[in-house]
Amino acid sequence: MSRVSLSEKLAAIVRRDVLTTIRYRNGFLLSAFGVLAEVVAFRYMARAIGPSFRPEGVDYFPFLLVGSGFYTFLITGVQAFLSTVQEAQQTGTLEVLLTTATPAPVLIFLSAFSAFAGKLANLALFLAVGLLLFRVPLLHPNLLGVGLIFVLSLAVALALGVFAAALQVAVQKGSAVIWLLGSVWFLTGTVFPVSALPLPLRWAAWSIPVTHSLTGMRGALLLGKSTSELAPEILWLSATGLVLVPASLAFFSWVLRRGRREGTLSAY
Amino acid sequence: MNAVVFNSVTKRFQHRPALFNWLGRERGGATEALRRVSLHVPKGEALVLLGPNGSGKTTTLKLIATMLIPDEGAVAICGADTLEEGGTVRRKVGFAAANERSFFPRLTARENLDFFAVLEDVAKQERRARVEEKLRLTGLADAGDTLVMKFSSGMYQRLGVARALLKNPEVLLLDEPTRSLDPGSALRFWPFVRELLSGGTTLVLTTHNFQEAAAVADRIVVLRRGEVRSERAFGLGASADLRSADLPGADLPSNRRPSIDEVKAFYFQATGDGEDAPAFETAL
Repeated sequence: MSRVSLSEKLAAIVRRDVLTTIRYRNGFLLSAFGVLAEVVAFRYMARAIGPSFRPEGVDYFPFLLVGSGFYTFLITGVQAFLSTVQEAQQTGTLEVLLTTATPAPVLIFLSAFSAFAGKLANLALFLAVGLLLFRVPLLHPNLLGVGLIFVLSLAVALALGVFAAALQVAVQKGSAVIWLLGSVWFLTGTVFPVSALPLPLRWAAWSIPVTHSLTGMRGALLLGKSTSELAPEILWLSATGLVLVPASLAFFSWVLRRGRREGTLSAY
Repeated sequence: MNAVVFNSVTKRFQHRPALFNWLGRERGGATEALRRVSLHVPKGEALVLLGPNGSGKTTTLKLIATMLIPDEGAVAICGADTLEEGGTVRRKVGFAAANERSFFPRLTARENLDFFAVLEDVAKQERRARVEEKLRLTGLADAGDTLVMKFSSGMYQRLGVARALLKNPEVLLLDEPTRSLDPGSALRFWPFVRELLSGGTTLVLTTHNFQEAAAVADRIVVLRRGEVRSERAFGLGASADLRSADLPGADLPSNRRPSIDEVKAFYFQATGDGEDAPAFETAL
């Protein structure tokens, strides 16, 4: 029986990651500057394209802001977690962490969660600058819907992060997951609507969970769609999460056992 | 009661050459790091593993710490099988690895230990005191608020020992613990380790240092090419009956600390190394 709660463990991991991030002082400031620069670039891109382009019924700037901000949050979260695992392999910390009293699946899931929490600050800054500085009106956003889509998307992204970590431990190439996610970027409706794609690609687009995350988030935040109107996205993300979360943890546990058998936990 | 039991343990590491291996020359096959190793360490005893590079010392420690799983045979820690009851074993074993860099470089020593204490399930009310105690024990109290990236090798090594002690382990594993310590610190380290044993901790330590083996060991096991070449008990707490009569050194008295020369002679007799041995040898 553990004498330390999960929330305490999560707090310790988040604290470790926050301290590490802010102690890379220049990197921290540059990353904040990068967020501002991206928002400004999107603003002028939307202005150049003109007000007549209204994908999914919203102005192009908020479409870009939510799409790109949320997509970046999900992908960089996976990437940040993968980097944590890679660094832990290189320094030998991973082996030590896996000999602590905290079970490996718990440790890996909490670490992934912390990586996403770090990227949440970037997303908040991104949206705050875009919405407040450029005065994007939010007409009756469905906050419950925003919360639901966010939590479900996070669960799916966490699972993808755990898959990436497992691949990193198994074959030292967790970056394959990032590559895969990056290669389907144009299908997810990040900078242009899925409806612009030819039909076969549209089917492919709808099979990608991130597409539903972006559509759902835009619907809830920018269009104020009701929770029942968001049902297709909520159901799709729930089903994906229900499959991917346990599957990723089971895969990680299997990989870990294999790594312990072959002595490759710290191979990189 | 035995704290550590190895029952005919074999551990192999496979070499899988890359694709298009004709472009380079990477070996295939397997390395047998341990071959049918059987040993046991009674509770409260200090076992020292001696052996040339690649003899299987660190592999032995990693099998105890559950970092590795045996291919054949079984390892049990305080009665818990490392394969079936890994979680129970991890709560009992503290491992100070020879890898000195296994910390978070942008955290201070205190922050690192606090982080690991949380993961080791040290309750909040005793965590701070536990961390301070381990920093003090390892002589790092004054460096507690220094980022570990600014530590010397010796300080890293001491921090590794502090981390291994955080959970007050029943079995403490030390992989070449004084490799990076200055001679003075090493001399002070050995009585410190012996002190831990008086509290009931069981110790398994690897070293290449005869002086260290003489200062710490209740029993010495010499490994070579993954096999136990010889085993000998020393010291008042040692169990003389553990010695195998057919192994070199088994006839020596077991009720006192060995001298460095005795350890040295025992080692060279066990390994069979003579003056004609090659300068360097690594089993692959």
